[in-house]
Amino acid sequence: MTDTQSARASTAADLTIITPEGVLFRLPLAGPASRFYAMLLDIVIVLGIVNGIGLLVYWSFAKVPGYGVMVITLAEFAIGFAYGALLEGFWNGQTIGKRLFNLRVIDQAGLPLRIEQAWVRNLMRILDALPLAYLVGGASALSSPLMQRFGDRVAGTLVVRQTALAAPGEGNWARQKYNSFMEYPSIAVNLRRAATPELASLIQEALRRRNELAPYARRELYRELAKYLQSEVSPFPDELVERLSDEQYLINASGILFSDQRPVRAQG
Amino acid sequence: MILNLERFQAQARPRWNNLESLLGVLESRPDRRLNLAEAQQLMELYAQTSADLNRVTHGALAPELRQYLERLVARAYAELYYAPPKRSDIWQPRRWFRIFTAFPESFRRQSRYFAIAILVTLLGCALGGLAVRYDPAAVDVLLPADYLRNPGERVHQEEQGQGEHIKTAQNEAAFSAELIRHNIQVALLAAALGVTFGIGTALLLFENGVLLGAVAVNYTRKGFGLFLSAWLLPHGVFEIPSILIAGQAGFYLARLLLHRRENRNVRESMREWLILVAGLAMMLVWAGIMEAFFSQHHAPVLPYGFKVAVAIAELVLLALYLLLIGKRETSPVVPAESR
Repeated sequence: MTDTQSARASTAADLTIITPEGVLFRLPLAGPASRFYAMLLDIVIVLGIVNGIGLLVYWSFAKVPGYGVMVITLAEFAIGFAYGALLEGFWNGQTIGKRLFNLRVIDQAGLPLRIEQAWVRNLMRILDALPLAYLVGGASALSSPLMQRFGDRVAGTLVVRQTALAAPGEGNWARQKYNSFMEYPSIAVNLRRAATPELASLIQEALRRRNELAPYARRELYRELAKYLQSEVSPFPDELVERLSDEQYLINASGILFSDQRPVRAQG
Repeated sequence: MILNLERFQAQARPRWNNLESLLGVLESRPDRRLNLAEAQQLMELYAQTSADLNRVTHGALAPELRQYLERLVARAYAELYYAPPKRSDIWQPRRWFRIFTAFPESFRRQSRYFAIAILVTLLGCALGGLAVRYDPAAVDVLLPADYLRNPGERVHQEEQGQGEHIKTAQNEAAFSAELIRHNIQVALLAAALGVTFGIGTALLLFENGVLLGAVAVNYTRKGFGLFLSAWLLPHGVFEIPSILIAGQAGFYLARLLLHRRENRNVRESMREWLILVAGLAMMLVWAGIMEAFFSQHHAPVLPYGFKVAVAIAELVLLALYLLLIGKRETSPVVPAESR
């Protein structure tokens, strides 16, 4: 019932879900290349299973090879479809290949896929695999905003990328005591008023990633940000700015933007 | 409002961690059922984290944090809104045997698509038959294999028992498996081609019809009608209907995709398609067995009259099965007295 309640939209590489509560979140779609590699791996696994069974059958039907051929032919055919359908159906949308490549099949509504959906999308491989090497399915996926091959379109499923994400770490660059910008209350207030959330976060993010940036890139980035702030948003007096490095300038500015302290009139 | 990410993260991190560990527990649980306390906790954490996500999306530019929260919210959303089937439901044989009654029910519910499939096939038959009847040269174009073009030779071979030595039960078993696989592949393709708005399905059925019509007329014209019936019908009475049902599934799928916007219960509709495909696959298993073990034996061994009688008996049984088994279709029209 939820698939009728939640709206769907998409950009080039995301599935956007709007839940019944009005929360909006995006899931990154898997590209054709990673799906193709995952599928190759799955094919290797299926071939392994089929050949294993083949050996077993060959052994146990040694007296009656005709029946052996029958068993192998049918088993091979059934396993080709059932491998994907059963694994995806019972293992929350993942085959072994998909798990190794961090892919997962989900319902279009952002929910886990159901067993019937897993069967439908795997039976439709008969069409998607045509004429060779999944050309039909690949063309379908590339022409679809949700990267769906025909099987996915019919079953109402899609494949998302799913890598484990850790919460971004905390920095301690903001723990400084003295902020010279606080001595210029009117300019500081201007800065607060003019800065957009994007700009503020950009500064904060640039500072937080200080150690991830190469020295040259960091210097250039900080110089540009400081120049932009100084010329476009809030020109602090030159005698103050001259003595500050660009980095210190940004630290001070973000101190103004995010601190609870009111800028105070300089004493004396 | 500009969000102080550092302070915000410090405040909110405990609840994110809580949500993460709760989700970890739930996802590792095989049936993914919640008890009341867990459900309440999950709901609360989901609401809080969703609100956090909203604040990060609109109050800051923090792509990594936003991605992290989106992933967390997505996982919680899936846990809250998805009711997985119970294990006990899946492993009940009774549910699996339901397919035997569900198949005829679905077949009858979607009978109009079956009618379309018959129509297209008959058109093909007529074209193939007429072409061979009035232009014998068409045989060379329409019929690919040599044995289909020159029935006399083939009938002679078959009745002389040439190749009889390879007709051991073993070879027939291998042959039947090959037939089953090939037929199911073709039928499945016909059912899947519904995504081409049914055009692919129609072409496949039509071509099949042309071939059937051409072969039938070609053999009958040369006086081998009875041989052909005895040769093809014992498996054909299952094989041809199952291809028609594949066409039915294909047309049904086409109609479903064309009206997807109006259709509120896509999942239920897809089940119908699956049931039709599963049913025709079962029919093709029987057809493959008959074709390999029964159809290939000819007159001295098996009289033609007997083979045709078997075929008719099969057809009657199949028709009874498809028309009578399972629940009767309830009329969608509301009875007058209840209005």
